[in-house]
Amino acid sequence: MTREVIDESGRRVAVPIDVRRIVSLAPNLTEIVYALGGQDRLVAVSNYSDSVPAAKTKPHVGMPMNPSLEAIVGARPDIVLAAAINQWETVDALARLGIPVYTTDPHTVEGMLESIKDIGGVIGASAQAATVVANLQQRLDALKTKLAGVPPARVLFVVWENPLISVGGHTFIADALRWAGAESVLHTKQNWPQISLEEVVRLKPDYLVFASNHAGDAASNAQRLAELRSEGGWQELPPVRDGRVAVISDEVNLPAPALIDAIEQLARELHPGAFKPARATHCSAGRFAAHADAGLHFDSRFAGRWPVAPSPNLCVEAVACGR
Amino acid sequence: MPAPNASPDTAAGWMQNPVRLLVEQASYAYSVSDREAPDFTLGPVTFSARQREIVGILGANASGKSTLLRLLSGEFKALSGRIELDGTPPGQLPLRERAQRIALVHQESTLLFPLRVWEYVLQGRYPYGQRLRFENEADCLLAGNALEQVGAKALLDRRMSQLSGGERQRVILARALAQQPRLLLLDEPTRSLDIGGKVELMRRLRRLAEENRYTAVVVTHELNLAAEFFDSIVLLQRGKCLASGKPADVYRRELLEQAFETTLDVETNASGRPRVILRGDADMDALEANPDAAKESPSL
Amino acid sequence: MRPLTPRRIAGICVALGGALFVVVVFSLQVGAYPIGVRDVVMTLVRGAIGHWNNVPPSDRLVVFGLRLPRIALGILVGAALSVSGASFQALLRNPLADPYVLGVSSGAALGAILALAWFPHAEWTMQAMAFLGALITIAAVYFLGRRGGQIDSTTLLLAGIITASFLSAIIMFLMTTLSGRDLRGMAFWLMGDLTTPPAISLGFLFVILLIAIGAIYTTSSDLNLILTGEQEAHHLGVNVPRVKLVVYVGASLLTGLAVSVSGAIGYVGLLIPHVMRMLFGSDYRVLIPASAIGGAIAVVLADTLARTIVAPTELPVGAMTAAIGAPVFIYLLRRRLA
Repeated sequence: MTREVIDESGRRVAVPIDVRRIVSLAPNLTEIVYALGGQDRLVAVSNYSDSVPAAKTKPHVGMPMNPSLEAIVGARPDIVLAAAINQWETVDALARLGIPVYTTDPHTVEGMLESIKDIGGVIGASAQAATVVANLQQRLDALKTKLAGVPPARVLFVVWENPLISVGGHTFIADALRWAGAESVLHTKQNWPQISLEEVVRLKPDYLVFASNHAGDAASNAQRLAELRSEGGWQELPPVRDGRVAVISDEVNLPAPALIDAIEQLARELHPGAFKPARATHCSAGRFAAHADAGLHFDSRFAGRWPVAPSPNLCVEAVACGR
Repeated sequence: MPAPNASPDTAAGWMQNPVRLLVEQASYAYSVSDREAPDFTLGPVTFSARQREIVGILGANASGKSTLLRLLSGEFKALSGRIELDGTPPGQLPLRERAQRIALVHQESTLLFPLRVWEYVLQGRYPYGQRLRFENEADCLLAGNALEQVGAKALLDRRMSQLSGGERQRVILARALAQQPRLLLLDEPTRSLDIGGKVELMRRLRRLAEENRYTAVVVTHELNLAAEFFDSIVLLQRGKCLASGKPADVYRRELLEQAFETTLDVETNASGRPRVILRGDADMDALEANPDAAKESPSL
Repeated sequence: MRPLTPRRIAGICVALGGALFVVVVFSLQVGAYPIGVRDVVMTLVRGAIGHWNNVPPSDRLVVFGLRLPRIALGILVGAALSVSGASFQALLRNPLADPYVLGVSSGAALGAILALAWFPHAEWTMQAMAFLGALITIAAVYFLGRRGGQIDSTTLLLAGIITASFLSAIIMFLMTTLSGRDLRGMAFWLMGDLTTPPAISLGFLFVILLIAIGAIYTTSSDLNLILTGEQEAHHLGVNVPRVKLVVYVGASLLTGLAVSVSGAIGYVGLLIPHVMRMLFGSDYRVLIPASAIGGAIAVVLADTLARTIVAPTELPVGAMTAAIGAPVFIYLLRRRLA
């Protein structure tokens, strides 16, 4: 009836062989379950899972940091998926109640691919997982080829402006930056270092990178740049003066498939020369676009299931190009 | 002369009026730090008091009056000499027994939480019974009695915060009386009262001492009221006992002027009690001009 | 003149106990997982008899596994904090005193944060180190707060406030520099959290609670007198230094206990004693048991609201007590009883 596995946090978990009811405690896990085609078996999700709009109709169990144990229990799950964002107290409490919890905790982009495979194995969707991972890996490899020989751009990733918080070298985001052909100018062991503007001046990044859920909206990007240009301190920074501010999808924060889109988006902004101009085909009903020439492969299986483009920026480009 | 140690509880003791409070060459010293010499020394002081007697402790500020009172209450232990209440030094009595024999009437302190008068007076019964105790009927009777004796029975249900200064003084006294003490110690009880209140308090003290056979020791600044109502006076100056005895013996001009470092005059009134007279500036000038007119000056 | 009798105290305790029972049943019945009153009662009854088979497993899980432990912990913490608050108000002769004013919760918080930093995934180390931090703070503040060999109220209060500030500064320093570790648990700890079961059995904790409250209760007559003045109490026969020591140790232990298992839940220790005074008078012989039960009711109610108002999102119970407590405090201030 169950088999024992060791999850990514090192805990032993008795996973049922037949998983019919899944609860996801973090937004990225919700995304992954949808990507693996398991959404019909997904009985409850955490709050903030709105990156997948279809998940809005699912019952919620509360915030990832502090979910309602009762709601989780009430959903009668066969397995609960947890991520690094969840507290270990929640995981312990569920374990004590006899509910299996599988935790994933990738620290790198490729680690995330492993996590997708692990989750696929746990929920009985190994075949779909293999396909999704292969597809994502292919995109990453293509990106790597395109960026070979291109020196990485020196960037500062801004998590929060005031106080100014960036990312440390061991974080997930730092790895994603590297895949996008960028290198964080900050080298520190702290995960979320708080630095001063002076430090930014000293480090001289070429680019400032922000994450936003309106990343594809050209108007909001322009507004962000205008705000920065009017803020004392920020307006003096060379990247702000020269307009070298990149805004990418906030999917970069989540270890989920859409991360790859965000990486690609950033790579195109930082190193436009490495990418042949996009040749757009039609935008389908779901506003997706395939860009075969850009070396980005898009799986048509997802068309129509994700009503929002995973990387709206691509779509905007296609419209702008008009080709 | 009755034997000084005759206890008032025996039949013989009751017939006589033995000395209840005995202070013989008692002294005490304060030092701020252990290694230095004492900053302040009190004594040696000698006086005694029987039942129904009131002793007044007089002196300028910082002359040791409160220290003497705390010696009598047992809070301090005399460094030399002896202090005995019915034959036992108060400092050697366990706390509860001490509270059953000695009641110290304080100046009022601020109460933090609302308290009714009867609750406050009932607290005087604390020394009797165990630590965590609940008051019984006898306690209530005694507390009511105490309030009546100070003329405050009508204030039973009022809140302490709603009382006037004089009323509160009476209630504080009632709580001390509820302790059924043998020795009453009062520290400047008339400080915040007007002249009418002062006289009333003194009269009441006198009456209480008579009826309940208390011995009372009162620290006060009221020279004339003390002379009028008290049986004996102890006069202190900078910790030294200048004199102790009947008012007429203690109220001598030289002694008073030495104790208070100001010009004073003493007269005797019709009942034989001394009166202290204050000389104003105009009087002083007139006196210098005409020394014979001293006797005709008005007194306070 | 109606003096306080043990009978009257018992009557008040029974009435309050009844209110607590109602609140417990109500709390068992509401929650994100729907379960009717009848089902709750049936589950309780069957569970008490031992007929587990007749109880649907989810029901049993929710009622016994989730809600009941939470409610029991709430009762423990509410009683501990309220009695501690009432005691400190008497000891420090200050109506604004609460269980945390002497820095015990800051010491516990420091212990908790060090536990999170050094032993990240160990289950009970956070509670153990929080309690250790509390104990060390109790001893330190005691030695700082003495004057002439005994506890002096004003010195104690100053020592406690300064210690609390100092420890808070250290905690803030650690929270910013240790950000590589997982310190999110700290935020919830600081706001109060009844969901983590205590490392030691709840029954044992209740025994400690009763012993500490009992020890403080034996001094309740003394406290009544001390509140009219320490000198006055001394001359009425109260052993003031001894009473102060017993109350200090007892109340600090209660605070340390509560804070170790549930973080710092605010306003309960400050306000419940005042509310109980308004209802039943300032006599500590009735105030202490009334505060204990009243505090239990308050925390269980606050926790119930915290987990149902915006279900399934769970608010921290400390946020609830603050949201309700602050208006109550303002009301009391205006009535000039606080």
